[in-house]
Amino acid sequence: MLSRVADSLYWMSRYMERSDGILRMLKINYASSQDDRNEFTWRPVLKIFSFLEDEEITKLEKDTRAVLQYMLLDKENSNSVFNMVTKSRENARSVQDHITKEVWQCLNEFYHIVRDEKLAKSIQFEDPITVLDKLIKQGLLYYGTAEITMARGEGMCFMSIGKYLERAIQSADILDVKFSDLSYDLEKTTDTTYWKYFLLSISGYELYLKNYRSGFEARNILDQIIFNINFPRSVQYSVSQLQRYFERLKSERNLQSFEKINFMIGKLKAGIQFSNVEMISEEGLHPYLKRVHEDLYKVGHLLNQHYFAYS
Amino acid sequence: MAKSTPFDNYSVVPGTWDEMYHQGKVRQPYQGVYDFLRQIPLEDLNKKEELAKRLFMSQGITFTVYSSGEGIEKIFPFDIIPRIITASEWDFVERGIKQRLQALNLFLKDVYHDQFIIKDGIVPVELIYSCPHYLREMQNVNVPFDIYVHIAGIDLIRDQDGTFYILEDNLRTPSGVSYMIENREITKRIFPDLIPQNNVRSVTQYPNILHKNLVSLSPRQVANPTVVLLTPGMYNSAYFEHTTLARLMGVELVEGRDLVVDNHRVFMKTTVGLQQVDVIYRRVDDHYLDPLVFNPDSALGVSGILSAYRKGNVAIVNAIGNGVADDKAIYVYVPEMIRYYLNEEPLLKNVPTYQLGNPDEQNHVMKNIANMVIKKTNESGGYGMLMGHMASDREIEEYKTEILKDPRQFIAQPVISLSSAPCYINGKAQPRRLDLRPFALCGPQGIEIVPGGLTRVALKEGSLVVNSSQGGGSKDTWVLSD
Repeated sequence: MLSRVADSLYWMSRYMERSDGILRMLKINYASSQDDRNEFTWRPVLKIFSFLEDEEITKLEKDTRAVLQYMLLDKENSNSVFNMVTKSRENARSVQDHITKEVWQCLNEFYHIVRDEKLAKSIQFEDPITVLDKLIKQGLLYYGTAEITMARGEGMCFMSIGKYLERAIQSADILDVKFSDLSYDLEKTTDTTYWKYFLLSISGYELYLKNYRSGFEARNILDQIIFNINFPRSVQYSVSQLQRYFERLKSERNLQSFEKINFMIGKLKAGIQFSNVEMISEEGLHPYLKRVHEDLYKVGHLLNQHYFAYS
Repeated sequence: MAKSTPFDNYSVVPGTWDEMYHQGKVRQPYQGVYDFLRQIPLEDLNKKEELAKRLFMSQGITFTVYSSGEGIEKIFPFDIIPRIITASEWDFVERGIKQRLQALNLFLKDVYHDQFIIKDGIVPVELIYSCPHYLREMQNVNVPFDIYVHIAGIDLIRDQDGTFYILEDNLRTPSGVSYMIENREITKRIFPDLIPQNNVRSVTQYPNILHKNLVSLSPRQVANPTVVLLTPGMYNSAYFEHTTLARLMGVELVEGRDLVVDNHRVFMKTTVGLQQVDVIYRRVDDHYLDPLVFNPDSALGVSGILSAYRKGNVAIVNAIGNGVADDKAIYVYVPEMIRYYLNEEPLLKNVPTYQLGNPDEQNHVMKNIANMVIKKTNESGGYGMLMGHMASDREIEEYKTEILKDPRQFIAQPVISLSSAPCYINGKAQPRRLDLRPFALCGPQGIEIVPGGLTRVALKEGSLVVNSSQGGGSKDTWVLSD
């Protein structure tokens, strides 16, 4: 497969994963904003998914419609859903002969949906949930279409690698921001709605209720989001999938590059697998998450260097 | 009161061959389509037109126009009423194009080797050497099977009595074939059952034939040669076509930056290292192909690719340097070429053409400029044209000055009243002018032409220019079987 093609498939998939993460986060935070106007702030969402300076966040954080507008449609915001979908589609457009016609059409339609001028109006004056649901559904359509129609070859591997790397980074970053609110104190008790909405925003609420009977505790939350191998957004699950799809790229023709990245992923995975909440609490949550974050970026960087470099 | 149909008040432009109507009656091959369209209520027809637009948009059968840093997706306008060509018309056109293409291939071989046609005084030498598309770099280069033109998109028009004429030979990187394929797919969606009922011949085999031909050109005798389609990239207006063809043939779509030349061989950069490329179907023009030889500023090409080609280590389709054969000044000599190389009379006629480089002809053209179309010999796409009957006196004067600077670069043709066909515009059928571009594929086993082609229509009322850059659209083109 051409390096350029692999690169495009990887980013097509990463951008879709990121836009899915942003959309879910927006939907649940919007619901939360309707619950208790005084307590609620968009600060964590803006910190995770935007590059705004602190003072700009302060200006925006209480203005729900403005945040939605900024996160969904702002052309200047490189992480807006508008830009994510556009970039994903641009990548798809340049590799149409490597994705199925169905996947291409799905992304192309998504692109036309986010460009529709009516969308901006609905966000400002109508029910934002309807808009967000529509966008989330189009994203799900992409996941399903890719799953059902794409050949299980190298291309699909690069798409999966992009998807799970992005997801692991997101989960680690979200935890970091959420816990920074509590000064990384695992013993601190907070309002149960804080954790409830957080879990809802990453589709982990039901699973949490099934596994932990004692209400919302920071340690259990960490346990689920970092270690639960059955939770599709956990760091551990994402890294395992990353490893699984990367291993399929093994080839005699570039064994050295493969071994180098494989080692990096294996080390990262083992590091998570053989740690637990107790150890994290001893090391400190922030340094731990920072290390995971850096290792994930290193994997991305190595992929770039060894598989995508074409110029 | 009878319900209204799109064909109420349809009136053929006087002195024009209408594809559907003849002396107030519907021509027999169109009867099926005519009856079918008449029984559909107008509002349903409008919905079908909408559906067609939506399908083009959602499938990304679009080109992007960039303005103020933002891309806007446009569709190439599609008219829902098909254009029909009968079996006997097609038989004639097919034979005519095969004959012409055979002669043009022989001409290219000759002009880049022994130049008998120049020595025998058929084509003037100064015409060849003054053509900017004649490339000395190709002199004495042998190409596989002596085929230069693998893919031709020859444009045909019909005059007022229905005779077919050749308007242009597009022998470099003709485009539009994806619209032949996609327009048919759209018709299948908007008019279910209509195609089988009318005995329309299929066009779906085009990519298979092309792929078979490409594979057969591989210089390496390997079981599975690497064939690639070289595109200028996604900012090119024909990018959709490049991706479609690559997908339908199952070959890699590459850009110049994906390729590298090492030791006179072409490789593509893959995730597992370099992989040798055997055949390149390029959609990049000659002058951008190799910055070491041609335009040094080109970022679309591949450095050293010409040396690999000259060594015979890679096949390039179409061959480099074909522009000398579809130059509009050389066009005049194609009928002579057919007589010279094949000893046959040309089946398809040329449009009468005056060369402004010739003083007598220039004189004649200048006197009759109001009835002439003047074109630049090396421009295409409807750019740089003067339509004498439409132009103002000032435009004519300006154009004359332009001509006198370098008369060799211009030809003139009498204004031909192109044939018309009904187009569904604003809820009713209206006559619009059209042309026909069939796509001929030339491989080691001979020339094959898929029964169909691109019909371009001038959507502006009264316009005779069908180019998409000048407000043209397209129609699904049906070739009927006997």
